[in-house]
Amino acid sequence: MKLLPRSRPRRRDYLRIPSARKRWIRAMNDSKPNTQSGSQKIQDRAHLLSARSRHKEYLVSGRLVTIRDPEAGPETTRSDAANAGSKSHMVAPKTLTVAEVARESPDGIDTQKVLSEMADIGPQARLLLVRSGEKLMRAEVFEDPRICMDIQRGAVVENLTEKPADVSGWRTHEFFIDTKGCLGDECGRCAIVCPENAIHLMGRGPGSFHEIDPLACKGCFICWVECVRTAADCILVDGKTFDPTMRSKHFGE
Amino acid sequence: MATVLSGNGAAAWGFRLSRVQCYPYYPITPSTACSQQISRWVNDGAMNTVTINAESEHSAASQIIAAGKDVRSGTATSSKGLLYMIEVLENAAGGSIPCGLFIGNRATGAPINIWADNSDAYAMRDSGLIQLFAADGQEALDNIIQGYRIAEDLGVRLPFAVNLRGFTGTHAYEGVEIPQEIDVDRYLPPFAPLNPLFAPEKPVTYGAMLSATFYRRHKRNQMAAMSNVAEVALKAGREFGEIFGRPYGLFEWVGDEKAELVVALMGESASPGDAVTRHLQGKRGIPGVALLKIRLFSPFPAREIAQALAKAGTKALVVFEEGLHHGAVFPPLAQRIATATHLHLGTDAPKVASVIGGLGGSEVRQDHFQQMFNLADNIAEGRPYRTEPYWLDIAEDPIFAESEKEAAPQLWKRWGEVWKKQARKEKYFDPLPKNTEEIRIYSRAGQGAITSAVGFTGAGIESGLQLLTVPAFGSERRGAIITTDTLVNDRGKRKIRSFNRAWDVVILYDDTILSSPEHNVLEGLKEGGVLLVNTSRLRVTKIREILSASESRLRVFTVPASEIAQGLGLSHLNMAMLGALHRVYEKVPFEKAFGYYEKHVPRPRESSLEAIQQGHAQTTDREAVRAKKERRLVVSGDFLDWRPEDHSYDLWPTALEEIQLG
Repeated sequence: MKLLPRSRPRRRDYLRIPSARKRWIRAMNDSKPNTQSGSQKIQDRAHLLSARSRHKEYLVSGRLVTIRDPEAGPETTRSDAANAGSKSHMVAPKTLTVAEVARESPDGIDTQKVLSEMADIGPQARLLLVRSGEKLMRAEVFEDPRICMDIQRGAVVENLTEKPADVSGWRTHEFFIDTKGCLGDECGRCAIVCPENAIHLMGRGPGSFHEIDPLACKGCFICWVECVRTAADCILVDGKTFDPTMRSKHFGE
Repeated sequence: MATVLSGNGAAAWGFRLSRVQCYPYYPITPSTACSQQISRWVNDGAMNTVTINAESEHSAASQIIAAGKDVRSGTATSSKGLLYMIEVLENAAGGSIPCGLFIGNRATGAPINIWADNSDAYAMRDSGLIQLFAADGQEALDNIIQGYRIAEDLGVRLPFAVNLRGFTGTHAYEGVEIPQEIDVDRYLPPFAPLNPLFAPEKPVTYGAMLSATFYRRHKRNQMAAMSNVAEVALKAGREFGEIFGRPYGLFEWVGDEKAELVVALMGESASPGDAVTRHLQGKRGIPGVALLKIRLFSPFPAREIAQALAKAGTKALVVFEEGLHHGAVFPPLAQRIATATHLHLGTDAPKVASVIGGLGGSEVRQDHFQQMFNLADNIAEGRPYRTEPYWLDIAEDPIFAESEKEAAPQLWKRWGEVWKKQARKEKYFDPLPKNTEEIRIYSRAGQGAITSAVGFTGAGIESGLQLLTVPAFGSERRGAIITTDTLVNDRGKRKIRSFNRAWDVVILYDDTILSSPEHNVLEGLKEGGVLLVNTSRLRVTKIREILSASESRLRVFTVPASEIAQGLGLSHLNMAMLGALHRVYEKVPFEKAFGYYEKHVPRPRESSLEAIQQGHAQTTDREAVRAKKERRLVVSGDFLDWRPEDHSYDLWPTALEEIQLG
């Protein structure tokens, strides 16, 4: 078996980060609010999309599309827009149990009255509170129709309260990123392709590296296959940087 | 004050008054005009709503679901469009998303058929939506507002669909009370999402995959929410009545309190049933009769209906159904009623028979209800009846047959004994009193007959009468002969929506219709009725001669409407015909109606009003002084762009709309 087939350099070319993408990554890092120059850089290479909307302009820089008002002068980046709009964004209504109402005694309602109303309904009683800013728009006591209380209405999953499941039992090999081989925030390809969102960037700039969450990794090999360094000295599988059997299985070599 | 609106227009008002915030749609007959009207309002700025021209019904449904997580959303569809939506509609129900649908009920084929029945509504039956059935435009409007109230109730949170029969419901023009916005806002609180998709502090995932345990537990919850609907709908209907004066229940009971014989059904087809029930009530030798008009189909109010039947002492119940349940014992409604009565009343349950009719736009007539009450009478007497559905208007499979010759041989083999024991009782078939006056227009598609009939309806409503205009729609090309029927009821407050098909006035927009081999224009014309013909070349005697009616009491009038229109530079002769109609039919006073037309006629207004005046003045039952050369109107671009909806909405703006649009 040939250990280093001739076709490898070409494949490596293909897998190398395109220079445009490198620029984009840099621009992304630079465009943080503090760095004026980075933001300036984007503008230099940016062009306006010929959009039909009369109300908005679409500024394209690399792969980043920014929406702004026409002739608005300095651009509004998405993150800026999010910050600026923090007062107007949607706030999820609260649904409180009797105990929560008693504990929090929320502003704008007659707690005693609401509590007695809820007591009439029983343990299924809930209080819906809809607020717009500080203003209370709606306060309504109702009976939660659920029978199985561990499932949310509409089988909705609340992302922040959901505990990630430990799927480490799924994998048959151990994956580990060698910090010495990892390009850190220059690359990030593995983090993008990971279907489980199990790879996280640690740190910024030179010295940054990626790390695999051992509870979330199912061992699918996608990061290992997609690694721009062809996992040569970056992702270790079972502590090994190179395994010809595995290579031939995944790369068909 | 009622405004003239089509069923689709009324549904559009329902969405508008409910302040729907997102309305994606993909148009399909017969519910297109609802979406068209809403997008027009949005364009004009009358509605603050996001409309999306979706690329398919599947997308439109996906979009109301996506939008329904944060805002109030709705759409309209029909037939195959609804079937295409069903794939995603289950996600609305499972995801607890209270979005709304208006459905112009239509057959689903094959063979392809654009007319009405409940096939589409029955196909979506198991998608987990609340299903309400409306009997007319007014109910469609009211039900959409109530639908949002019920669907968004915190104990429910499920999507809903309001059903209205295609064409006879969606395209029938009648007086509709449009509620005041301020009252609707009082009745229907602003949308409150329980789990908004765009609340950054509480990110949520909809539609995550759940394994058996959690899936099962979630479905248990979903069913629990569904079982709250009946109670919530009752309360919503009662409160609606308190504010708007039109209370709604889960069903409507028309007829005797103690009714041995009951016909149950849903939707617009109740109109002729209503007339028959009131006619049969209190007749000698006929036991108590009632019509059970079911409004809430899903979830089925089994207990409430069983209780109502028990209270009325019902012995026989005939369920009329406009759809099939392939392979089942009974169609969906009959099956639900049979289950309900047997579960709740046990051995005291009334006997239930099923009748199928109204399929693919089949007319539902008064005599059908006479047959059904007769059938119920036989069942109550203990005569045997079928354990599978009866059919209406199938000559080989009649409800009553005395001899083998009247039925298909294989059916006679099976049901001959049952047929022999049935008794057709003439007391059920007494002709109904002709309480209404009816006008039929024969015109060629594109001549503007509907526009003039809608205008006439508006004028009639303003002068305090109840009117209903039902145009016939079909697969005809432009230029084909179509009919437009208008009913005038001047007796009391009770609405009549059932045509007797005895015409007081028959109008021909084109004298060539006289020679159509397919149309006998004298058919159904009352003794002493009026025939009004647009002609400049035929004299009254000639018309009588063509119709071989020289001796009859028929009154014939002619008007040179094409000539009048051409003289005024109008491309439509319908305004001149409208004036002529007032000359031959004086129930709607011309002076009063003209006041209405001054505000509402199609553009160009001056010429249109002049055409009405001239049409009125030049109508005559005498011999025309000079026979004129036939004139043909030049076909203009406007003429070719003609759509019935355009005319009815754009050129006949309602008074209220005009105020609101400035």
